[in-house]
Amino acid sequence: MTVTLSNTPVLTTERLTMRVPEMADFEPFCAFVCSDRVRYIGGGADKDRLHAWRAFAHITGHWPLRGFGTFVLVDKSSGAPVGSAGPWFPECWPEHELGWTIWAPEAEGKSFAHEALIALRRHAYADLGWTTAVSYIDPENARSIALAERLGCRLEQTAPTPFGDGQTLVYRHPSPAEVAA
Amino acid sequence: MIAAIPVLQTERLRLRAPRLEDFAPFAAHCASDRATFSTGRLDRKGAWAEFASAAGSWTLLGFGAWSVEDRATGTYLGEIMIQHPAHFPEPELGWTLMEHAEGRGYATEAARAALDWAKGRVASLVSYITPGNARSVALAERLGAVLDMGAALPDGEGPDETIVYRHRGIA
Repeated sequence: MTVTLSNTPVLTTERLTMRVPEMADFEPFCAFVCSDRVRYIGGGADKDRLHAWRAFAHITGHWPLRGFGTFVLVDKSSGAPVGSAGPWFPECWPEHELGWTIWAPEAEGKSFAHEALIALRRHAYADLGWTTAVSYIDPENARSIALAERLGCRLEQTAPTPFGDGQTLVYRHPSPAEVAA
Repeated sequence: MIAAIPVLQTERLRLRAPRLEDFAPFAAHCASDRATFSTGRLDRKGAWAEFASAAGSWTLLGFGAWSVEDRATGTYLGEIMIQHPAHFPEPELGWTLMEHAEGRGYATEAARAALDWAKGRVASLVSYITPGNARSVALAERLGAVLDMGAALPDGEGPDETIVYRHRGIA
């Protein structure tokens, strides 16, 4: 038997199809979680299948609980899932976040995350009615900082962070009006 | 958007999809000593990851967690879950009961409904129990499960931490 989420959005960009997570995405996601590439995510998550599963099922369960969530980014040309990105608002998050992760090293450097985030920010503002959004970034995650700046985000010194560590950077996205302008 | 999670009814209980409003009592439970034998004590962030991942299991595997409510009053009583995280060798039947709901046979009644539903839908079903958790051992035995000394354990767990009760008549 299958239990499916009904009426979940599918977004497309030039090179990506973005959809809700599926079971077949787990192994590529698990490989990412068990690699050194995860060091900037969630305060350096534990690298094993237990934590990979909890994180993956959490991403999935966020959808029915919140009514929105993180999309898996599928490379149209290969059909392979290359990362996840989008609206994220788990318990204890001070405000709505737009997050991103590229899972496989070979998918990096192709601007997939930038392409996805332009569409996902539009989705958050236009479809979900968000009036603002932030991205929480590890101060040593230079690639994500560069992407945030490329997306027009501004570093905010005083905004609260989910980790309460005084280190996580908060990048504020341009407002809906600024994005539309 | 709603996942079409099955609703099961028993004489006194309704097993239904987890909802956001169930999280507050679930998190209070996770923060208490009562979580010692299941997840271990968790802060709200950890409790949310448990709660959301149990809800997410449905679309990934076709089974997951039900919230259990009192049919008469709608009061949230706890959770019954069939779960198969990647580090478990086979699917597990688990339960979490709020303190105010204890001692009335609710866990047994809800677990029986979940067991009936599971028949033919999963290839096998066990319950992983911490040695010394006498209430859960008693419940497993009431459900007809038998201690299986030869069963594989979840990755990273040893017999001092986990014993396996195997549910019968599932396949």
